[in-house]
Amino acid sequence: MKNEENAFWSIFGYLLSGLLFWGGAGWLLDKWTGKNFFILPGLLIGIGVAFYLVWLRFGKE
Amino acid sequence: MPASISKKGLALSFLLSDNRPGFVSPGASDFVYKPIINGIEFTTKPILLIFFSVFLISAFFIFSSRRALVVPTKLQFAGESIYSFVRNDIGKDVIGHDFQKFVPFLFAIFTFVLTNNLFGIIPLIQFPTMSHIGFPVALTLFVYFVFHTVAIKKHGLLKYLKDMMFMPGIPKVMYIILAPLEFATYFLIRPLTLAMRLFGNMFAGHLLLILFTLGGEYMLHNVLLLKFMSVFSFGFAIGFTFFEFFVQCLQAYIFTLLSALYIAGALADEH
Repeated sequence: MKNEENAFWSIFGYLLSGLLFWGGAGWLLDKWTGKNFFILPGLLIGIGVAFYLVWLRFGKE
Repeated sequence: MPASISKKGLALSFLLSDNRPGFVSPGASDFVYKPIINGIEFTTKPILLIFFSVFLISAFFIFSSRRALVVPTKLQFAGESIYSFVRNDIGKDVIGHDFQKFVPFLFAIFTFVLTNNLFGIIPLIQFPTMSHIGFPVALTLFVYFVFHTVAIKKHGLLKYLKDMMFMPGIPKVMYIILAPLEFATYFLIRPLTLAMRLFGNMFAGHLLLILFTLGGEYMLHNVLLLKFMSVFSFGFAIGFTFFEFFVQCLQAYIFTLLSALYIAGALADEH
């Protein structure tokens, strides 16, 4: 159970931080440029990279 | 009321409604307590409960270990079971090699969180202290400080950051996107989820218990049909109390387990 618990919360953490960090970066760019363009690519990159990290950590073996 | 529907309408209104004001559902305001002694800020119920829990835990473990015997008494057995659970099942299993020096820390966290959670279903107390966000946050700050300090002491700051952010065997370009994510996970998401999970579980659980109890009470003083329905509400309240017991133990365990996992990660040679 410990390993599952660990994996579950790590994965959840990666997904959350992916969305928050790159989504947040996109949102800031939008704020800065005054457009409404960067937040979606930001979120997509964030979640994509998060999945990539999860795969690197847990999917490779 | 028009005359044509009066008879049926009257019967229905007798069963289903009356002129009392509607049900006011419980909310976050039910978690705010006034100071018990007027004018002294820190005498609110949650803070007094925190002190009470420290007293309870100390008393329990002092009495259970005072005259330790080879053939343990019941009390000594209970105390030792909790200790060995934290020591072996959390500390030893998760941290491994150097676990012994972290056992007091983990043990303190586990008993503290468990006791304060269980306050939620103990009659007359009935308030889980950890449903006030400040307490989980303070606990999380301890864990945060400990696992980062351990890691920096063991590896040095630069190597710690490098190991954390730059996983070997990945194309160099990816680091631009990956490194900030790893950093955010360690420094923001981990403490955030640790505190929020404990707070959220205790808050929501307590809210549910209040809701079913107050709802049942409201229905009991209402029209006939609702009086019957109140039985279910009270039934749910009792059922949820048992469920809460399970959640409270589980959350204390998870909080300690994740603390141990973070410490283990800090001690590990490679991430």
